[in-house]
Amino acid sequence: MKILMVTPYPPLRDGIASYAVQTVMSLRAQGHEVTVLSPGPSAAHMHLNLVGARGAAALAKRVGGYDRVIVQFHPDFFYPIGAPAKERAMISAALTAAFRVATYVEVRLHEIDYRTGRGLSPAAVATRLMWSQVDEIVVHSEGERDDFIAAFRVKPERVVLTDHGEDFQRYTSVDKAAARRTLRVPADAKVFLSIGFIQPHKGFDRAVTAFGELATADARLYVVGSLRVDEPGFKAYLETLREQIEHTPGTELREGYVSDELFDRWIVAADCLVLPYRAIWSSGVIERARLYDTPVIATDVGGLKDQAARSTDVMIVRDDAELAAAMAARLAGRTGLDAPNGVVPARVVDTSDLGRPWPAPGERFRERLQAELTARASIVRGGPLGAVDAAAPGVGPAGEPDARALVARLTPVPAFLLPSTAGTGARSYLKKVVRRLTVWESREVAHQLNLQKIGTDKMVGVLTDQVATLQARVRELESEVHAGTDTDTDTGAGADVDAGAGAGTGEPRG
Amino acid sequence: MSGEIDRRGTLAFVPARFGDEVIGGAEIVLKQMALGLQARGWTVEILTTAALDHHHWENVFPTGTSEEGGLTVRRFPTVNEPIAERGELEGRIMRGEPVTLSEQQRWMNAGMRVPELYDYILDNKYAYRGLVFTPYPFWVTFACSQIAPERSVLWTCLHDEPYAYLDLFQPVFTGSAGLFFQTDPEYDLARRICSNLAPNAIVGCGVEVPEVYDPHGFRARYDIDSPFLLYAGRREGGKNWEQMLEWFAAAYERAPFDLKLVTMGSGDVNPPESIRHLVIDVGFLPDHERDNAFAAAAGYVQSSIYEAFSRTIMEAWLAGTPVIANAGSDVVSWHCERSDAGLTYRDAAEFEQCLRFLADDPAGAAALGARGRDYVLAHYRWETVLDAVEAKLVEWLPAPADVPEPTPVGGHPAVVDPADPAAVTETAGV
Repeated sequence: MKILMVTPYPPLRDGIASYAVQTVMSLRAQGHEVTVLSPGPSAAHMHLNLVGARGAAALAKRVGGYDRVIVQFHPDFFYPIGAPAKERAMISAALTAAFRVATYVEVRLHEIDYRTGRGLSPAAVATRLMWSQVDEIVVHSEGERDDFIAAFRVKPERVVLTDHGEDFQRYTSVDKAAARRTLRVPADAKVFLSIGFIQPHKGFDRAVTAFGELATADARLYVVGSLRVDEPGFKAYLETLREQIEHTPGTELREGYVSDELFDRWIVAADCLVLPYRAIWSSGVIERARLYDTPVIATDVGGLKDQAARSTDVMIVRDDAELAAAMAARLAGRTGLDAPNGVVPARVVDTSDLGRPWPAPGERFRERLQAELTARASIVRGGPLGAVDAAAPGVGPAGEPDARALVARLTPVPAFLLPSTAGTGARSYLKKVVRRLTVWESREVAHQLNLQKIGTDKMVGVLTDQVATLQARVRELESEVHAGTDTDTDTGAGADVDAGAGAGTGEPRG
Repeated sequence: MSGEIDRRGTLAFVPARFGDEVIGGAEIVLKQMALGLQARGWTVEILTTAALDHHHWENVFPTGTSEEGGLTVRRFPTVNEPIAERGELEGRIMRGEPVTLSEQQRWMNAGMRVPELYDYILDNKYAYRGLVFTPYPFWVTFACSQIAPERSVLWTCLHDEPYAYLDLFQPVFTGSAGLFFQTDPEYDLARRICSNLAPNAIVGCGVEVPEVYDPHGFRARYDIDSPFLLYAGRREGGKNWEQMLEWFAAAYERAPFDLKLVTMGSGDVNPPESIRHLVIDVGFLPDHERDNAFAAAAGYVQSSIYEAFSRTIMEAWLAGTPVIANAGSDVVSWHCERSDAGLTYRDAAEFEQCLRFLADDPAGAAALGARGRDYVLAHYRWETVLDAVEAKLVEWLPAPADVPEPTPVGGHPAVVDPADPAAVTETAGV
């Protein structure tokens, strides 16, 4: 089969690119002829700026001649950030045309704003029309599937649930002892790990706070990763995290650009991953942990609960208290939340997941069945917890924060003000109904609040930078006054330095 | 030792360029290593591009699979689309200005790329026991070594240059099955750059030992009747060629000396007018004539500071010729100190004095150079280096139980991982 894959692609360091290349590898290994088209230059065969109506029109010219077009979808690939409704409508219309030209279109959904499908505005109508042209929409959790169908009124049979880690492969073959040796991690310590791009919504500060409450000498928490983008708010968050870790014994920040191999080596080295996300759609980290049977503690956001149900040892926690208790339980060698301090409510086993359908026949059927039955066994053993009742409150680190740090600590508002429930009783049923009826309004409010937070992040960052620049300039002027000089240092000093290096000493570079 | 080594499985060596006409230390070493390992019983292939020149990356060689010099070579076409932003980013990188990670990624992808090689490794990674890449800064190494990091080994060729400090390359240094370093200073540099190196080992670098030299014949063939300083390799700014020429001219203008400058290799010569009559370009020479040139020289100059090993100074020392070298290179300075057979200079004045020493005291210079041969023979015979390389390859790259054959270039595989990835590799330690 001739397949066109539209996606960000390596060597771009990006979660969707990493996901896509593993899918490409799998498809090629099955004998398909796969051509990759990426939004920018990469290892793909073609690249094309896909943003805007012109990008969609250009895409339309390239989809012909393929038996299947697979699009790894994130709205930013196609819609300019902040584009007005009219422009969005035009882009959706252009994408509709592109999808209509293609023989068969599969869209793998990585993120989308469900509000774009709501109402009778031209933009919403165009968006729904666009999705109606997609033959298969692949999502990674039941929640996404339900929400997508409701938002875009797509026929349910077109929306397919796929295992996030379906095509994931191992990038390391070391064992735990070797991994720890190479990473300079104590061989006999109990090791918790929070790994990934460092961003406020990843909530790594929550793991540090929880770890700080454990008061144990033989455990470690490593936070591993780097900033993905140089947003002021993200930088401030990293700075705050650094301070917090500095003041929390047993924790360590391993800051840096983590390769796929190193990422996996850390997972092998860890006894337990801690993923206290404040917001996420689905987690590639959980899937990679699954490859190595490394236990995970994660918060109940996005589709993580669905992912947990497919994994052998993922514990979903509701809040910071449960997070601390879960880490304490791990330290004590238990997988449940029956922590000795009694701060945690009784464990809830979400048996409703046992009622879901088994995987349908298809590719790697046995493997998926095996994973499913393992996951179900995990549920019966009490791995994943049930419904959540409250949004996880943000917990800021100790210390005197600056303005940026304060803003960075504002917890993003959860998309659902009324949390989801998987219970089966009358109360749960009522909650489901209310949630379904109010979901759009609550998401709108949450979205606006989070936008305001991001805007505040940026504004405070810019102002802080400007203040720092002014302060530095004041210090320079003060030192010049003290030195009794009235030279214009901006030009004079630079000229002197250049002359010294080039003509004075003739010192070679390096 | 050879009887204890499990050499099953195919090794792929993956340089960005390959061929007899390619001038570059890393590429030459990789070829020699491939041939050396093949002679020891390994199955070795070369995966590379069709390019000869590392500036324009034009596809010169035919693509596809061929036999070259006893090795199977699979060549893939380069893609090199000029993107304006690359030049601006390159300038900022070289000036040491902050460049964000996303900008670094754009810089890397805005240059030469080889998507078909990427696809080939994607399809056939399980067909190889290991893939050995060099040098680190090229797209081929950066992109392709991360496809199967658990079976990718990097012959780093690391220089103390702005590129090395880019965050972009951290995954290559941290996330490979193993790293080969050639010298202690190269390893020290790697540790300064990266706090969490992948398993690694200093294995040195092999140098061929010529059986005989013909210095008189060389002088006669090129009509050189006076002592000369020799320069070998690429004549380009990155090697400080122009600066060395200027300093040579300045020294000569201050007080003439009996010393010519002979150069072999590639690139424009462009000597200052005042020394044009002293500069002789003998062009690109075959190996045996290169050896003769080293033996005939009064001294060999290494002006580059970006050296990971510097094969040419070994070739000079094997011929008994003293070396004068830019002290800006930690590696070359380290060699000179360890061997007692080379001088280093830090500026034009020191360089001038090196020249005068060679011109004024040929016997002393010869005595200095004579120490170099023992140094090279003690540390850098290919047999010694290959022993170390093999030991690490078998440690880092577990032997497969069974491996499928690589598919022809352009073919489509149906390959799954035949190996159980449970085998353990450990830090080599250095």
